[in-house]
Amino acid sequence: MASTSPPPAPAPVLSLPNPPRPQQLAQPPPVAAVKSEVPVAEPRDPPASFSSIPPEPSPAAVAASYTITIPSCSGWFSWDQIHDTERRILSEFFDGKSASKNPGVYKYYRDSIIRRFRGNPSRKITFTDARRGLVGDVGSIRRVFDFLEEWGLINYTPSAKPPSAKKGEMGDDSEKKEAPRRICSHCKSSCNMACFTTDKADIILCARCFVRGDYRPGLSSTDFKRVDITEETKADWTDKETIHLLEAILQYGEDWKKVAEHVGTKSEIDCAARFIKLPFGEQFLGPEEVGEYGKPHQKNDKVVTVPEGENVPEQSVSKRMRLTPLADASNPIMAQVAFLSAMVGSDVAKAAAQAAISSLHKVDIAGGNNASDDRLRPAASDGSKEEEAVAASNGQTSSDVLNEAVAEAQSQLKKEEQDVEQYLSDVVQVQMKEIQDKIVQFEELELLVEKERQQLRHMKDLLFADQLVIMQHKMQLLSQGNEKGEKVKQTNHVP
Amino acid sequence: MRSFHPGASKAPMKFRMPTAENFVPIRLDLDIDGQRFKDAFTWNPSDPDSEVINFAKRTAKDLKLPPTFVIQIAQSIQTQLAEFHSYEGQEMHIKEKIVPLKIDLRVNNTVIRDQFLWDISNLESDPEEFARTFCKDLDIGDPEVGPAIAVSIREQLYEIATQSISSARETRVGKKGRRGGDIVANSKAGNMVDLGKLFGSKGSVIRKRKEWYLYEPIVDILSNEEVGALDAREELNARLKRKLDEKEESFQTRYSHG
Repeated sequence: MASTSPPPAPAPVLSLPNPPRPQQLAQPPPVAAVKSEVPVAEPRDPPASFSSIPPEPSPAAVAASYTITIPSCSGWFSWDQIHDTERRILSEFFDGKSASKNPGVYKYYRDSIIRRFRGNPSRKITFTDARRGLVGDVGSIRRVFDFLEEWGLINYTPSAKPPSAKKGEMGDDSEKKEAPRRICSHCKSSCNMACFTTDKADIILCARCFVRGDYRPGLSSTDFKRVDITEETKADWTDKETIHLLEAILQYGEDWKKVAEHVGTKSEIDCAARFIKLPFGEQFLGPEEVGEYGKPHQKNDKVVTVPEGENVPEQSVSKRMRLTPLADASNPIMAQVAFLSAMVGSDVAKAAAQAAISSLHKVDIAGGNNASDDRLRPAASDGSKEEEAVAASNGQTSSDVLNEAVAEAQSQLKKEEQDVEQYLSDVVQVQMKEIQDKIVQFEELELLVEKERQQLRHMKDLLFADQLVIMQHKMQLLSQGNEKGEKVKQTNHVP
Repeated sequence: MRSFHPGASKAPMKFRMPTAENFVPIRLDLDIDGQRFKDAFTWNPSDPDSEVINFAKRTAKDLKLPPTFVIQIAQSIQTQLAEFHSYEGQEMHIKEKIVPLKIDLRVNNTVIRDQFLWDISNLESDPEEFARTFCKDLDIGDPEVGPAIAVSIREQLYEIATQSISSARETRVGKKGRRGGDIVANSKAGNMVDLGKLFGSKGSVIRKRKEWYLYEPIVDILSNEEVGALDAREELNARLKRKLDEKEESFQTRYSHG
């Protein structure tokens, strides 16, 4: 439910080299508060000159992988927020009656106590431990501590009965056992990993019996359908459900509760397990929540696992080793190939076989069974290696394969970056084009305006010319008038 | 802004800790059957009395102390609380004064020494906040240092507060349970800073450079051997002191009989 991100970079003041973080928590603690709790988990380091972390005798270095379980009734917990439940129950911090009892102080108590517990989760933290490390009055610290303990945020072990039924989920009553264990009708042993059922007769066979091939007459191997128990409880994952699952994950991220709701028919743990089983699922494996399979499913528990040596997938892989379906005992190599292919499923086996064939093509088949056998072997071993590699990538800890996955992830990342750059440049281009168009428009406008100006000037000139003409005429008239006047005078003068 | 009169007293108020929260510093130092238990923490006096016995039980259980400790712890806490409550009805006169507080303590491997000025009349002051910030700013790794600083500050403030009660000046019961072995409590909190000189025309708020070193906090990390040596010495001192006290008591009783 909580958002996950890689653990925060160590605060700059700390000069001690941080060992591979034992604090592989699902929720990253706020950076500021990390310092005070780090020494609990760190091995004994000489005190650096800049930091005051004393050389504490530390508990035996915390194993890199451990699980922190909190009951699902406390699923609301998040490092970054204070939930209504907390506000309601520990109202003294939120009613504003006292200046120094405020949500910040509550958060400080809560985060310190939980972090302290998770620094050494195999040991229950006592109230005295907690209050000795916290600044504040012991009364309020005790109330916060009791609250956290009651709600299973500290000192909670899944085997212990949840303290009270009133906290939401009904205690162990509704503990849902796994789907009825399948017993192989033939050898009467329980089928763990995969079983094969047939509709023609009501028979369930474990993988071993199926391989051995002694079913009743009338049934052939094709009648049997492979059912993985670890993945499905009652039914296979249909395509619809898988699509729902992917949609839900895209939408809700890693809020498995909501994802399970969206899918409908599968529980949270199944969804998470299925997601990881999907071919690309392992890329998202990080400090995340992984469904815990192999153990009886408890609806109450939400498991937060630290990958790095998951014991359970290893268990499952070792169990798979026992499968020998379709074994053609005569050719040991084919037997191995066959068992690996049955182990990983048909699609993967097909891909691996195709790869083997293509590599075979590259090899010169100079004839002779021996020669081809020799090459077949490396090719087959290549194929089987590939299958192994593929199998291994389903959760094993082979570092090479992990590196491959990492490289793949990185290349995808690069591709995405390139895409983003491409889009950015497209956007920029489009905007530039817009600007260019605008410029063109403005130029046209300018031209028009210029033309108008010229016209105006022309008109002005014409006007001026007209004015001149008028003036001329006026002058002429005036002078004519004068002349006439003078002539009249002159004529009058002459007697 | 009210006018500033150094030495002017405010109207007397009911006794309380001059901090935002009226918490009491509690110190425990018990020695039962050769087993020593020392502790110090902050207690909210408005918590019900049932809290005391619950706390004692829980502490004994967490630290795996024998059950005889439970009663002793509870009694010690209750005694100190009762003392606190006995002051409560009385009036105290707080002058506006700034007092220097000192921190000089050792918690596990960390030694802290510091002194700073504290405003007694600021009833919103918060020693817990101070302690938290102190540890954060000085990057102190041991989480037990914070509470120790807060308790130390509270103790000094408590002392000052009780001194300011006029009636309390006469009777000062020997605070045996209060002085732990590893804290040099600031009993003479009387050298208040003359505010007039500081903020008057001649003074300035900025500290003189030659005084800076006095007010700089010092944090030291000790090695385990040094810690062991110091612990041993303190044990010795405490034992000697106890012997002396016992002798005194027996001396007095002898006299009173005679």
